[in-house]
Amino acid sequence: MKELVRDTVAISVKELRQLKRDPVSLILTIMFPILLISIFIVISQAFSATSYNIPVVVADLDGTPASALLLDKLTSSPLIRVTQLVQTEDQAYNAVSSGQAFGAAIIPKGFGDDLIHGQAFVIVETDNSRITSSTIIIASMNRASQELLNEALLGESSLQLKASPVEIITRPVSGRPPSGDTILPGFLGMIAILGAFDDIVNAISRERERGTFPRLILSPISIFSIYSGKMFSTVLLTILRTALMLVIFRLQGLVIRGNILLIFLTTCLIAIFTLSVGLTLSSRVKGSSTLTILEIAMTFPLFTLAGTTNSPQTLASEGRAIAYSLPWTYGNEALRRVIYLGLGFDAIAGDLFILLLGSLVLMPIAIMLSKRTM
Amino acid sequence: MIDSLAVAANDLRRFTRNRTSILISLIILPFFFTASLGAGQGGAGTHFSATADIRMAFIDNDYSIASGRLWQTLVSSPDFHRLVQGYTEQTAIASLGRGRIYAAIVVPKGFAADLANNNTARIMLYTDDSEPGVSDQIQAALKNDIQNFNPNLEVQPLRFNTSLFPVQIIQKGTVFAGFNVGLTIVLGIVQIFAGFYEIAGGMAREREEGTYARMLLSPISIGSILFGKTIFDLLLSTLRTFIVLGFAVFVYGAKPNTDLITLLSLSLLLALVTMGLGFVVSALKVGTRAVVILEFFLVLSLFAFSGLIIDRELLQGVSHTISILLPFSYGFDALKRTILLGTPVLSLTTDLQFMVGSALLFYGLSYVMLVRSRERLST
Repeated sequence: MKELVRDTVAISVKELRQLKRDPVSLILTIMFPILLISIFIVISQAFSATSYNIPVVVADLDGTPASALLLDKLTSSPLIRVTQLVQTEDQAYNAVSSGQAFGAAIIPKGFGDDLIHGQAFVIVETDNSRITSSTIIIASMNRASQELLNEALLGESSLQLKASPVEIITRPVSGRPPSGDTILPGFLGMIAILGAFDDIVNAISRERERGTFPRLILSPISIFSIYSGKMFSTVLLTILRTALMLVIFRLQGLVIRGNILLIFLTTCLIAIFTLSVGLTLSSRVKGSSTLTILEIAMTFPLFTLAGTTNSPQTLASEGRAIAYSLPWTYGNEALRRVIYLGLGFDAIAGDLFILLLGSLVLMPIAIMLSKRTM
Repeated sequence: MIDSLAVAANDLRRFTRNRTSILISLIILPFFFTASLGAGQGGAGTHFSATADIRMAFIDNDYSIASGRLWQTLVSSPDFHRLVQGYTEQTAIASLGRGRIYAAIVVPKGFAADLANNNTARIMLYTDDSEPGVSDQIQAALKNDIQNFNPNLEVQPLRFNTSLFPVQIIQKGTVFAGFNVGLTIVLGIVQIFAGFYEIAGGMAREREEGTYARMLLSPISIGSILFGKTIFDLLLSTLRTFIVLGFAVFVYGAKPNTDLITLLSLSLLLALVTMGLGFVVSALKVGTRAVVILEFFLVLSLFAFSGLIIDRELLQGVSHTISILLPFSYGFDALKRTILLGTPVLSLTTDLQFMVGSALLFYGLSYVMLVRSRERLST
C-alpha cells in the first residue's frame, strides 16, 4: 500500500513537471477554461439581456383608442422595435417574408369592441427560422396585452376589460430571478470533461508518440500506480480549473448557494470518469491529434445529451434514455443542485455514486485493454 | 489540371489507407451528430410536448368541483402525462430539486369561490428552476392549457377556440420541427468540423512527416496543389452531405423545403470557405495539436456567434461585430432560409456574396503565403 502511494505520487509529480516544462500545454491548461467560459458567458448574457432591437411591423386595422393603447405598449417595449406602421395585413406579411422585419402584429378591425367582451385577438406572424427572436416577439405581445389588462383593472385606462379567470403565480424553488445563466453549472461540468480529455491526451498519447510510454511500463512501477498517478495529476489540475471557474462565476455576479467543497468533489469525479473513458479510447486510438478530434466530436453532442444547455427532462424519449445512461448527466445535475439550490451531500449522493460507479467499471476495462495493446 | 488531379488522387489514396480518418470523416461526424440530433429532438415528423413526461405534483387544497375539473383538464391535455397527486404543499416543495418531481401545481383554498364570484382565481406553480428550460416550458404549457379552462363545463372546449384572456395571441408563420432546425446546424457543423481538420490537419501532418517541404518544392504549382486538395475534400464533403441528408430524410423523416442541388451547393460552398481557412492556417506552419485546438475554438465560436444557439441579430457589442465578420454565419443563415423557408438560393445575395468573397479571400491569402513559403524553402 505504501509502495502504491509512493509510486502514485511519483507519477503525479512527473506529470506536473512535464506540464511545467511544456509552456504551450501549460498555457492551454489555464487559458482554455477561461476562453471557453468567456464564450459561454457571452451566450448566457445575450439570453439575459433586458432589451433587444427585434424589428417588427404593426398593422392597426382598428384605429380605436384600445388599439392605440396596445400599439403604444408595443412601441415602448424594450424587447422589440416597431420599425414600420403598415396599412394592410398583406403588407405586414410581406415585410416578414421579405426579411425586412422578424415579426408582424396585426390588430384586426373590431379589436376595441371585442376587447370589452373579452374576445379580442391579435394576429402575430413571425419568422420562425429565427428561433430566439420569434419567441421574444410572442413574449412581448403577451406582455403588452397583460399591461393593457393591468391598467384597465387598476382603472388607469378608460377600458372596461374582463379579467382572465385563472392567474398562474410562478415561484422558482431557487428564489432567483429568471436569467440565462442556468447553463453555467453545466458548462463547468463540460470544462471538467474537456480538461480531463486534454489531460489524457497529454498523459498517454503524447507519451506514446515521444516513445516514453513503453519505458514507463517497463519500469518497476505497477500499471495501476501509473494510471492512478496520472489520475491524481488530473484531479489536481481539475481543482485548479474549477477554482478558476468559480472565481470567474463570482466576478460575473453568480451566487453560489451550496458548499464549495461539494462543487470540487463533483468536478473531480466528472474528471475521473472522463479520464476512464479517455484511457479506454486511448488503448484503441493511438495518435494524440486523432484522439483529441474524436473526443471533441464526442463532446459537442454532450451539450444537449448530458443536460448542459437544456434539462434531459425536456428531450425526446430516445434522447432522455441516452442522457440518463451517461454518468456526465448526473455530474451536471449535481453541480446545478449545489450551485443553484444550495443542496447538501445527501441530495447529490446518488449522482456522485453513479459517477464513481462508472469510473470503477471503466477503469479496469481501460487497464486491461492497455495491457493487451502494449 | 493533370497536376491537380494527381494531388487529389494522392490525398485520396492516403485517406483510404487510414482507417481512423475514414471512421472520423465519414462515419463518426455525420452519423454521430445527426443521430444525437434525432435522439434529442425526435424525428422531423414526431411532435412531442417537452413537458409531457416531466413528473409533477398536483396539490388540490380546495377540494371543489372546479379544482377537480382543473385536474381533469390538465391530465387530459398532451402536456401533463405525469401529473401525480398525493403530495402536500410542504412535501412537494421539499421534493423539488431532488429529482423526484420538477414542479408542483397548487390549487389554493378558495379557488372555486373566486371563480364563482367573478374574481381572478390563482394557481401557484413551484418549479425546479435549476433544470435549464424546465421552468419556462412548464409555465408556458400550463398557461396554454388553462387559457380555455371553464370551471362551469364538465367537458372542456378544445384549445384556441375561444379565450377568456382579454387579448388572445394568434400565432401565424410556419412552425418548424426541432429536427429540421437542428439539421441546418448539423449539416454546417459537420462540413466545417471535418473540412478544417482534413485540410489544416492534413497539411500539418504532412509537415510533421516531412513530406510538406517536398510537396512545395516539387515542380507542381501552388495553384495546382490548392486545387488538387480542394477537389479531394469536395469529394469527401459531397459524400458527407449525402450521408447527413440521407440519414436525416430516411431515418428521421426530415423534409427539407428545397431541392437536393441547392442543399449540395450550399453545403459545398460552406466547405469551400472552411477549406480556404484551413489553407491559411496550414500556411502559418502550425502543428497538428495546434490545428486541433484551433478547430475546437472555431466550432465553439460558431455556436456562440453564428446564430446557432441565439439569433445573431440579438447579440450586442463585440459579439455582434464578430457575428457580422464571421463568414460561416452567412452559410448557416442560407441553410436555414433554404431548408426551413424554401427561399430560392439565388435570392440570398448577401449570404452568397459573403461566402464567395470569404472563400476567394482565404484562397488568395493562402496562395500568397504558400508561394512565400516555397521561396523561403528554395533559398
